[in-house]
Amino acid sequence: MRRLLWVLVLLAAVTAVTVVAIPTLTIMPFKPQTTRILEIAYPLRQIAPRVTLVCLVIVSGGALFLLRGPRQPAALPRGRTLRWFRQPLVRHVARGVLLTALVAATGVVTWFCRQNHFEWMFNPLPNVKYVDVGATKSFLTDDEMVMGIEVNGLSLAYPVRQMAYHHVVNDMFGTTPVVVTY
Amino acid sequence: MWESALDGRRLRFHLAGINNQNFIMQDEETGTWWQQVNGRAILGPMKGRQLKLIPADIVAFGVWKLDHPRGRVLAPDPEIEARGDEYAQSDWERNMARRRVVTTLPKGSPFEPRTLIVGIAVNGHAKAYALTDLRASRVLLDVINGRPVLIVAADDGKSVRVFDRRVDGRPLEFAATPHSVAIVDGAGSAGGKTAVPRAPLLIDLDTASEWDFAGRATSGPFAGKTLARVPHLLEYWFDWQTYWPKSDVYKPWRPTPKAVDRLEVPKPAS
Repeated sequence: MRRLLWVLVLLAAVTAVTVVAIPTLTIMPFKPQTTRILEIAYPLRQIAPRVTLVCLVIVSGGALFLLRGPRQPAALPRGRTLRWFRQPLVRHVARGVLLTALVAATGVVTWFCRQNHFEWMFNPLPNVKYVDVGATKSFLTDDEMVMGIEVNGLSLAYPVRQMAYHHVVNDMFGTTPVVVTY
Repeated sequence: MWESALDGRRLRFHLAGINNQNFIMQDEETGTWWQQVNGRAILGPMKGRQLKLIPADIVAFGVWKLDHPRGRVLAPDPEIEARGDEYAQSDWERNMARRRVVTTLPKGSPFEPRTLIVGIAVNGHAKAYALTDLRASRVLLDVINGRPVLIVAADDGKSVRVFDRRVDGRPLEFAATPHSVAIVDGAGSAGGKTAVPRAPLLIDLDTASEWDFAGRATSGPFAGKTLARVPHLLEYWFDWQTYWPKSDVYKPWRPTPKAVDRLEVPKPAS
């Protein structure tokens, strides 16, 4: 019974880490991607929040149960001395460390897959603000590149220097929603 | 630049990943993954759908503000500015030029992967022009998939505009005059140290009307006419090549230098 629980806990921890690690490690800026990689990564990314949560429940529940017992070590055959790694204390500590590590790893990936780590580096711009052409002296020079668009009678410019940082800007002009990308 | 509504629903996009150095965005509403460069849904419930392009004018700010004096400019995020130098990547292009490229170009590819090109697509047919070639020729006439186009490059080497060169349905031929016009009104930037970008003043060969960098006829019989814009992308060659593998490439005509080591004096007839 305890052995089965160990297997279940290990399996759940490995599943959680794998589900999060595959899309994270394959979709990296300086690695090539193929359609196949994306086809695998996309569903994993979609199910990761649910899968990791289930795994976290299994791993932490199982760990709690496994940590608690048994208090008494199994009876030893008479006349045999224990090797050091079979000492009850060593085994108890090792078990504790391993289970804590599994819970921690599962916890970290459960949290990580709820983050958008691409937005850690390139912050989104939730409050999009504009200034008049005349009020740009502090951040824009005449020779810097911009991307200009015309929407609903408005003329808007997006400096490349800012867009290279945000990459995505969502906005709405009248009834026309727009996404500016760079 | 894309219109972010589909089937009457507004989509809000986030950065969600990267696909061979072109980013993937995900919409909050359906969770679909979209490719930034072409606005196409690549995975998820909306797979295969296409966002509507909003053509962008990709030019130096000084150029843009001449045509749009009442325009509005995206303000920097004060939080990010306060954090220090994160926006100060005005040399982004130069920085990226050093980064390696993960895709491999087919054999005999005409350009280095990081060559900056102007890419134009007309109804599924694409053609790429190296920025340096455009800069050298200043004005270029071409026909892409039956559409006559005019490409004009300013002398700053990066501000490029593409027009449909038909007026009243008739394609015109254009030529650069020896004159160029300043396309920035002020003294440039950075304390007036930057040279003021200039663009060639064009004439059409039918009526000799003069045309400016905004595609407007400023004098002559066509005065008051404006050429329609053709959307283009300023892109790295490797990325363009990934999405337009069959893209044509503009190859400038170059005279073959002939080695001359002695004067050829015709021999007297004997």
